[in-house]
This record gives sequence, C-alpha cells and structure tokens, in this order.
Amino acid sequence: MRGPICAAAALLPGVGEGRLAGHRESCLRCRAHDARRRSLARELAALGAEVAPAPDTLQAAVMARLGPQDAVDPRRALAARAVARHAAAAAVAVAVLAVLLAGLARRHSRATV
Amino acid sequence: MPGGVQPDERELLARARSGDGEAFGELVRRHQETVYTLALRLVGPDLAADVAQEAFLRAWRALPRFRGEAAFSTWLHRITVNTAWTLRRRDRRHLTQPLEGDFEDTAPLPERAGELAEARAGLLRAIAALNPGQRAVLVLRDLYGWSGAEVARELAITETTVKVRLHRARARLRSLLGGER
Repeated sequence: MRGPICAAAALLPGVGEGRLAGHRESCLRCRAHDARRRSLARELAALGAEVAPAPDTLQAAVMARLGPQDAVDPRRALAARAVARHAAAAAVAVAVLAVLLAGLARRHSRATV
Repeated sequence: MPGGVQPDERELLARARSGDGEAFGELVRRHQETVYTLALRLVGPDLAADVAQEAFLRAWRALPRFRGEAAFSTWLHRITVNTAWTLRRRDRRHLTQPLEGDFEDTAPLPERAGELAEARAGLLRAIAALNPGQRAVLVLRDLYGWSGAEVARELAITETTVKVRLHRARARLRSLLGGER
C-alpha cells in the first residue's frame, strides 16, 4: 500500500515504480504512512496470536446439548432422494399411459359396437 | 486427563465421528479457547459464548462428514465463522460490541505494560467500531492470516468485495487510531 502522495503520483501518467520508490525514500509523509501501516499490521497479527480464556461453562453447555449426528455419507441421502424422484416420475408416466390406453380402448370398443 | 496418556487427536476424532460424546468432549476442551477467541473477535463478548457453543454443536452434527482434508482446527474455525455470520444476522443488537477488556495476557508483563495495554485496548475499540462486514474480513485476513479466497468462500462474498472491505477497514482503523494516538 502506498502513502497518500505516492498514491496520488500513481494516478499520473508516466510515473513508474522506480520513480515512486525514489519518492517514497525521500517523502517524509509517505515514510510515516508506511511506518504506521507496518506497525498496525504487526499489532493486528499479534492480536491474532492471543487466546482468550473460554467461559468455564462452555464445555458443559455443549455436552448438555449434543443431539444426533448427521448421516455418515450425504451422498447416500442424495441418491435416495434421486431414486424417489425417478420413481415418482415413472409412476406419473405409467398413470398417464394407463389413462391414454383406457381412452383408446373405450374408443375402440365404441367403434366396434 | 490426569494420570494417563492423552489420546491422539486422530483417535479422538475417529471415536467422535462414530458418536462417542466423551471423545468429542475432550476435543471441545482442547479447542474451546481458540474457537471462543475467534468468536470474540468476530461478534464481541455478548454473543461469543453462544457462537462458540453453536459452532461446537454444528461440528458434532457434521463430524461424520469430516474427511480430514483440512486440519480439524481449521475445519472448526470455518464452522465458527459461518456460525458467527448466521447468529450475528439473527441478532442485530450485537452489531458493535465493545471488545476491550476481554483478553488476558499470558506472557510476562513488559516494562511498558501499561502503555501497550492501552494501545491494545485502543486497537480493540477501533476494531469494534468497524461495521460487521469490514470487521469479519479484517479479523480473518489480518489477525488470522486467511487468504482472500478463503475469506471470500467462508463469508460467501467475492474476492473483490474482500479486497474493498479490507482496504476500507484498514483505512478506517488507521483513521480511528490516528485520533487516539
């Protein structure tokens, strides 16, 4: 991340990284900005390494609420659902076919009477 | 576990995956501080215990599906982030929790302890002042060192959004701290 002046300079056409680096070396504001940025990054990383004590009751509260676990393999449940879907579609197709055949049979019997 | 050899985490996981609550209890004991701390950073003290508890329960339910592709702690942290995100949405009252005073130093006190503690309290106040979206991204990227892609995946946002939020969060933090220091 660049300092405020470097950032502005970067917007100007024809300003290369070399010139920016040179500017950063000599610009007190940019150097101060970079130093603040690095210091903040260090402080944040240090905060991430800290660990807070958990409440004494946390483990007991979790253990008191343990319920059933999910299925071992979610693919089995998905496969079962897919089979059920296909079976339902096949049943609908058979029913439609049966209705059509019954209609045809009725027409045929009327025609022959 | 006094008087005995501590069971290997893999063994505990295998037992917990097959429904052994006692083994899972031991895993909770081992990971509760890191999970609670992550929750604390993400949602503040009022909601952190709820998030940690819910995260462990979700982990228990999902454990049979845990394949060990990532470390158990990494998997647990992902669940914690998701849980924090869900519970925070449910409980909008906890948008900006004061975070100061929630962390205990385990390291020996340095000479400049007072000054450092004050600086850290200021940093925690500044983090707490960020909006939840910016705070989550900053915590995961700058405190925990997650990659942009990991943060994007876990928060269900794009990597571009991660970059924008991070940039704004850092700028806001610098501006808040500039006023304090």
